[in-house]
Amino acid sequence: MNLKTLLLASGALLSGTAAVAGGYQVSLAGIKNNGMGGVGVGLSLDQAAMFYNPGALAMVRERGVQLGGNLTFARNSFVAEGGNTQRELRNTVVTPFSLFASYGPTEAKFRAGIAVYTPFGSKLQYAEGWEGRTSLTDIDLKSVFVQPTFSYALTDQLSVGAGLVVLAYGAVNLQRDIPLPDSYGHIELDGKAKTKLGYNAGIFFKPSPMLSLGISYRSKIDAQVEDGDVKFTNISPTFASRFQATKFGATLPLPATTSIGLGIMPSDKLTLAFDINYVNWSAYRNLEFRFDQQINGSTFSTSKRYYQDAFTFRVGGQYKITDAFTARVGGAYDNSPVKNGYVTPETPDADRISGTAGISYAVTEHFGIDLSTQFVTLKKRTQTALDLQNNQTTDRVAGTYKTNIVIPGLGLNYTF
Amino acid sequence: MFRKFVPFVALLGLGITACQPDLESDFKSSAGSADFTRYIAVGNSLTAGFSDNGLYLEGQLNSYPNLLATQFKAAGGGEFEQPLFNSAQSNGSGYLRITGFDATGNPIIGNVAANAAVGIGADSKTPLLAKYTGTGNQNLGVPGIRIADITTAGYGLNNPVGFNPYFERMLGTSPASYLQYVQERVNTIKPTFFTNWLGNNDVLGFATAGGVGATLTPVAEFTTKYNQMLDVLTTGGTKGLVATIPNVTNVPLFTTVPVAAVIASIKANPQIPNASAASLYIRTGTNTIREATANDLLLLPARAVIGTGATQTTLPIGVGYSATMANPLPSQFVLDAAEITSVTNRTNELNAVITAEAQKRNLALFDANAYFTTVARNGVITNGITNTASFVTGNLFSLDGVHPTPRGYAIVANEMIKAINATYGSSVPQLNPGAYRGVRFP
Repeated sequence: MNLKTLLLASGALLSGTAAVAGGYQVSLAGIKNNGMGGVGVGLSLDQAAMFYNPGALAMVRERGVQLGGNLTFARNSFVAEGGNTQRELRNTVVTPFSLFASYGPTEAKFRAGIAVYTPFGSKLQYAEGWEGRTSLTDIDLKSVFVQPTFSYALTDQLSVGAGLVVLAYGAVNLQRDIPLPDSYGHIELDGKAKTKLGYNAGIFFKPSPMLSLGISYRSKIDAQVEDGDVKFTNISPTFASRFQATKFGATLPLPATTSIGLGIMPSDKLTLAFDINYVNWSAYRNLEFRFDQQINGSTFSTSKRYYQDAFTFRVGGQYKITDAFTARVGGAYDNSPVKNGYVTPETPDADRISGTAGISYAVTEHFGIDLSTQFVTLKKRTQTALDLQNNQTTDRVAGTYKTNIVIPGLGLNYTF
Repeated sequence: MFRKFVPFVALLGLGITACQPDLESDFKSSAGSADFTRYIAVGNSLTAGFSDNGLYLEGQLNSYPNLLATQFKAAGGGEFEQPLFNSAQSNGSGYLRITGFDATGNPIIGNVAANAAVGIGADSKTPLLAKYTGTGNQNLGVPGIRIADITTAGYGLNNPVGFNPYFERMLGTSPASYLQYVQERVNTIKPTFFTNWLGNNDVLGFATAGGVGATLTPVAEFTTKYNQMLDVLTTGGTKGLVATIPNVTNVPLFTTVPVAAVIASIKANPQIPNASAASLYIRTGTNTIREATANDLLLLPARAVIGTGATQTTLPIGVGYSATMANPLPSQFVLDAAEITSVTNRTNELNAVITAEAQKRNLALFDANAYFTTVARNGVITNGITNTASFVTGNLFSLDGVHPTPRGYAIVANEMIKAINATYGSSVPQLNPGAYRGVRFP
């Protein structure tokens, strides 16, 4: 394995992301963390600390590079209210990835690093002709964040850090069918997000070899699309004059996250960790689109989201079996930000329970392989036509959703 | 080292394949205390699948009994035979279709010619339709039939005093009444489930004629004959569903041409002298001439008549300044306030009969009147698609302004399924109305 193959692998992985934490958030940075229920704020495991808690980076003494990739197999089933036909996604695999590299002189109190990761995303392709086709047929939401990071150890026990979070790449592709009196047309919205800046910051405190604490914050970034392309297909000439828009604009908030974490190291071999994340999803009120020309009589569309702030609780541990092997387990409980009656096909969300496992193998003193897998199950969630009517959210579909996700991950790390 | 990863990878593979959630086991269909093995449907044009002012193959295939039978199959239902036109006669009796749009964007509605017509009947006026030659008919819907007609002998026989051609094509050459035909079908098929949606024409005929030349069926006669029909259908305790009569004043035939808009257009018409003093004048059912008010309903065909041909006076039709200086709109184009009251009262009286019988006989009841009143007010949103009672654009009503589109019939079928499931504890799946069209555009 040389650096060139590593880079090739990263190119192949840069193709998509999936919703794996509440809403369209993806918490898949760091394959070691993945194996431990996604904990990391109160730990200084490796360079992935730049994502979880940049304050902990200065405590990661090894300089190094690590590359992680995940395969997300999301399996969703839907039965419309009153129906008995199960609709399943045209299954896709998406590949959230992460790259972390850090450097600092051996004896220096600081570490600098760069992180590349995919914190938000979603890709779903619904069955042909499914009941919710006029809400959504396909969504592909991608974001890549690049984060230069600096962390400084104020004392042997206390370090701080911050990163400049750059939304370096964001893309949205949304497709749905348009109900015409005697047929269905189709609209595709496709756009790139403008580059936007945010930040993250964290404090890490390790009062004893057996205990560590962390707190971190990542700011909100509004992913903003201007001049996205609108494309209509299958609109019969009779109705074509009503569907003339060619450009759209939209804004999607990527909400702020505040996290606290606790690490307990009862022995050299055992690490236990607990994290709580609080995501300000309430920033996501409505999904609004502006169009350059009228679509069926309006240049503006709005759809209620009314997300609410949500907590995620994580627990994980690792045990060093031998010098070469480390095993990990963990779990998480993720409260959905989506209120009852507001579930939409682009985020068929529900409270999530995940169980994770992982293993690391140190091939040499400097090179290691990490494997992880996560099993995520979303609670079965039903919304009725009456719920939709009461909330004035009838632009979506009534029925029952259930989703399971399996995410195997592979990480390669090289330290020096 | 890789050997040690093998069990891990195998476990992972297992996890992925077992990952697809299974919801279907949560939504198993069942018949409950009903039995859908052999189903027959009794009714009028709505039951036959009449749409766009005609009976044609596409409408028959989308009739609510056919849709119901398809859904019943998930809960033990069997095959369902209808008196279909064959594919060479697919235009049936002929029907209405949008052929284009005029300069103001209003649809131009034209006729698709019949291709199932086979001559003129013995009364020298009723067109005969290609006969249904099967023997297993389960959809007994006869367009135009009233409860008042069900015991009339010769109602479906080609004879000089007149007959119903839709019944004639089903019946062959028998002088049997509709009730006798239903009895014969019950004896032959031994149905385990029925639907009965009769009664609409006992008020509709009066309303669509603008209160001219047609009568409302008396309550006593309706009660007697409705019970005769139910006695036949419930032979041996057969379960089923009955439906009430929607108040016809909620359908586009009566709501598309609002009086206020017509009056406003008269007052704004520069060709009418002293137009601001002019208004819309009507001839009522009691032969008085008066100014129209918001309490009167204009029929859809009135749109093509008002303001045309000044034959009786110098004023165009419908225009006037006072009761004595007017060319009133003829009575058949308007359901005046008094006629509306008659129609509404009789609808309520007949519905009371239907509802009482449904309760007495423990039958499922689809209250079509309550349902369509709500739809007329609020529309109905199905799987994110808005449907309303508006003419042409609302998706629910066909071009005759009275009969549903395939989408409308699908929604009717769903409402009946809800009533059946509620009454018999069954789980018959609903269908997706979005899979059925509204009004067809050119």
